[in-house]
Amino acid sequence: MRHGRRLFVFTFLVPPLALYAVFVLSPYLQAFQISLTNWRGLSPTYEYVGPENFTRLLHDHYVWNALKNNAIILVALPIITIVLALFFASMLSVGGQSGKAGVRGVRGAAFYRIVYFFPQVLSVAIIGVLWKEVYAPRSGMLNGFLRGIGLDGLAKPWLGDPDLAFWCVLAVMVWSNVGFYVVLFNAAMQSIPREIYEAALLDGAERGETLRKITVPLLWDTIQVAWVYLAILAIDAFAIVQIITEGGPGNSSDVIGLRLYGDAMNESKFGYASAIGVAMFFLTLSIAVVSLRMTRRDRIEL
Amino acid sequence: MRRRAPRGRFGVVNAFSHTFLVGWAVLTTFPLVWALVSSFKDDREILTSAWSLPAKLRFDNWVRAWTEANIGRYFLNTAVVVSGALVLTMLLGAMAAYVLARYTFKFSRTIYFVFVGGMMFPVFLALVPLFFVVKNLGLLSTHLGLILVYTAYSLPFTVFFLTAFFRTLPSEVAEAAMVDGCSHWGLFFRIMLPMARPGLISVGIFNLLGHWNQYVLPIVLMQGQGAERKWVLTQGLTALTINQGYAGDYSALFAGMAIAMLPVLILYLVFQRQVQSGLTAGHLK
Amino acid sequence: MNTLTRRGVLQTAAAAGLLATAPAALSACAMGGGDGDTKTEQDDKTNVNPLGVKDDAPLEVVIFNGGFGEDYAKAHEAMYKEKYPKAEIKHSATAEISKTLQPRFVDGSPPDFINNSGAAQIDFNGLVSQNALTDLAPLLDAPSLDVPGKKVRDTLLPGSLLPGTYNGKVFSLNYAYTAYGIWYDEKLLADKGWQYPKTWDEMIALCKTIKAAGLAPWTYQGKHPRYMSWPILSAAAKLAGPEILLAIDNLEPNAWKHEAIKTAADAYSQLAVDGFILPGSEGLDHIQSQTEWSLGKAVFISCGSWLESEQKKVTPPAFRMAIAPTPSLTSGDKLPFAALRGTAGEPYIVPAKAKNANGGMELMRIMLSKKGASDFTKKTSSLTCVAGAEEGVELPPGLTSVTKALKASGDKGFNWVYNSFYRKLERNLVDAACGDLFTKRINAQQFVDACQKGADEIAKDTSITKYKRS
Repeated sequence: MRHGRRLFVFTFLVPPLALYAVFVLSPYLQAFQISLTNWRGLSPTYEYVGPENFTRLLHDHYVWNALKNNAIILVALPIITIVLALFFASMLSVGGQSGKAGVRGVRGAAFYRIVYFFPQVLSVAIIGVLWKEVYAPRSGMLNGFLRGIGLDGLAKPWLGDPDLAFWCVLAVMVWSNVGFYVVLFNAAMQSIPREIYEAALLDGAERGETLRKITVPLLWDTIQVAWVYLAILAIDAFAIVQIITEGGPGNSSDVIGLRLYGDAMNESKFGYASAIGVAMFFLTLSIAVVSLRMTRRDRIEL
Repeated sequence: MRRRAPRGRFGVVNAFSHTFLVGWAVLTTFPLVWALVSSFKDDREILTSAWSLPAKLRFDNWVRAWTEANIGRYFLNTAVVVSGALVLTMLLGAMAAYVLARYTFKFSRTIYFVFVGGMMFPVFLALVPLFFVVKNLGLLSTHLGLILVYTAYSLPFTVFFLTAFFRTLPSEVAEAAMVDGCSHWGLFFRIMLPMARPGLISVGIFNLLGHWNQYVLPIVLMQGQGAERKWVLTQGLTALTINQGYAGDYSALFAGMAIAMLPVLILYLVFQRQVQSGLTAGHLK
Repeated sequence: MNTLTRRGVLQTAAAAGLLATAPAALSACAMGGGDGDTKTEQDDKTNVNPLGVKDDAPLEVVIFNGGFGEDYAKAHEAMYKEKYPKAEIKHSATAEISKTLQPRFVDGSPPDFINNSGAAQIDFNGLVSQNALTDLAPLLDAPSLDVPGKKVRDTLLPGSLLPGTYNGKVFSLNYAYTAYGIWYDEKLLADKGWQYPKTWDEMIALCKTIKAAGLAPWTYQGKHPRYMSWPILSAAAKLAGPEILLAIDNLEPNAWKHEAIKTAADAYSQLAVDGFILPGSEGLDHIQSQTEWSLGKAVFISCGSWLESEQKKVTPPAFRMAIAPTPSLTSGDKLPFAALRGTAGEPYIVPAKAKNANGGMELMRIMLSKKGASDFTKKTSSLTCVAGAEEGVELPPGLTSVTKALKASGDKGFNWVYNSFYRKLERNLVDAACGDLFTKRINAQQFVDACQKGADEIAKDTSITKYKRS
């Protein structure tokens, strides 16, 4: 049996591991090596320049600017998305009038669940191109709507304004993600016994209170998962920004992924771009370690 | 009396929250409907009046997007690559995750971390080295190459997710089966895999969407002489967008978007129950 | 929930990171690619075959699939095939030149002929500094295919080699001849009884009239505001002479702070300050703004001569597209009103490691023949750098006006190339400054300061190779 076990583990592990090592690990390890060179990606010649790329990085204000935007997304995207999704999900599961059947969802809850999920099945390429057209100042849907209802004053050159463009992209990210978490939280809420809500309502609890004091604590694990997924999205954010604004106007909506991409593909500075990637990797890592420490302390205090 | 108190108070809240619900529903559907409507307009209508309806239904936009931009062919290619990659990802991912979750051996945690660490690195950093790996294997501009690469890059999340899932499965069943003389293989295929169904469906749908949306990898790996015959949909769509930047063919762009969008939306509507419950089930175990 | 919690993920991430820091003892597959086995196919050089093309060597061509499409290239390849029937030609076209070809350069197996154009072109600074390109001198010194007694070099329009010249060597053939100016609809102006202004004061006066008539005088490619840096630099060069452009190209200290550039920027920023720009322009991309213009919502727009083919689909039939030089800023301008920026664009290259570099250059020689060039003009409605090749070809209105304007400009024409020396300087830094100038965030002084800061940044960056021209 022991022999059979070993053979079993071996045959199950080797094919995926081999595939992974060849196509994922080896390219990434090479990227680490490239980050120490001045390789420009157009010929096989390069020199090792030691930590030069990394010292340059520290003084690159474009990188810092992009990093700032990533930090904002990292905080704003999960908060906005989760708050909206929790609100909608609780509406859908317990927002209806309490009749004989007790607490239930609003009318048409199933319909809303289906519709809210739409953006989730569309590709980033489509979402990006679509919203670029929606935001178009003269032919776009948004300004067309604002003008249509007489709010001409609010019609803006959205993506052309450095103060707005970044937030416009963030809005698209929220738009495309809320649906999934509505469905996720909604499903999680189904497992909360109705009686808890009914009892709370009888005690005269406000709806906001039930959400804050009952739903959120009971859904805490799910919310944490949502947070992690959204954080991964926030650190990347490359495709959507590239398609909608290309980081503009004037770098106002730049993100670190786009910086890396631009330095590699447009300036053909592969050594430097790889250094950005490596720095990004360690940054993500330290954020992870810090939050790990913090949650650990939480647990002890609890 | 007993019921009126909440109802009275909630009546206002209800009207208020209903507005929000309807508002968000409009917000999610309207851009899509708008794109669909625009796909029947001509360039001038698109650029001059955002909210007007097309003067007539211009199916020639669709025809142009389908034939000239080859959206039809790319659709088929994407289907081939995505289904191949999905099957392989699920198989290899489940195998690795199962062993990592339920067997302890030397380096098992290390291997797990190596897999999961892949989630933290930006893909395009690997692009150039990856190109050579694929080229040296003679897999450049082949659907097989793309399938293998998609699979390799979906393993981190798949392994991460399924390992967690396999750990939640009760060990009593497994022990009982082993006592009954079930082999490791039989245990996996006949007992554990069926038990892990909700998790498999969840991560399967995740991967399906991820593969379907893959953007950077095919651009680098599907190129050269004749490669455009093997392109996938996102490539075709980006080519259309970029082309639009030079030729200003807005109507074909919207038609292309509609063509890329509709089948997925229709499929989703047909299977929405399964998609939703499948996607969420795995997270709520 | 088990391990699927945040803690689980974070723990995992932390451990994975430690692992990845382990020394990467992998051999450099990516960088160690192609070695020196690049023997070029070569045949004896003769009068009929001055480049020594081997007649059965295959030729691989990659075309940028942009505004010009790829049909013109197929026609040129057919002419090559006619001359070398034994040669097999591999043709492909892509909009993503950089992503498609960059790995092949590293690999040492690039195609023989590339149209390195478009937003996703491969950075020339990198290509040239890495010695990745073939010096085109043999081609330029070869006899022209159908202009008897002349070298290829002598059949070209003056200045058309400049944009492809790096420290004195020609590495790219910029084939399409482009004029940069201000565009308008001749018919509209005639109908309203307006005259295209020859001085900036007249321009401002006309803008007032246009605005009073309910039209927007100007629009611009808001998401690519660098389009507006072209009239500013042109006007400045006309005011103070083309030497200021030389200073900019050579990254001379304070080149951008020249008084003339500030004067020009100040003049053009007046358009924004006085509300002469179509509202919302800053949020329009080039196609959107140009279409507003084509539809008559705005009267003037700055662009190059590709505008006509770019707008072909949305231009109303009665529209009479025409180009004009920038109005003179003062009566004491160094250059006359008619002076225009004419330059060759659309760069074509032969990689240094091309297997059939001679074939690649031969294809260029075919493009540069009268026959090849007039075919290009016919197919793409664009001029080429071959002098007089458009004669006898029926041209659309816009292009007709371009040829007239270029003739009027004659030897007073000027050009700058900092945009191809240092792509980032124009595409990112000057671009951003223009964006701020035309949305009234900064004034002319801050504009030249911002541009100079960008240029200084490039000058200081040791990782960017510097080029000089004279």
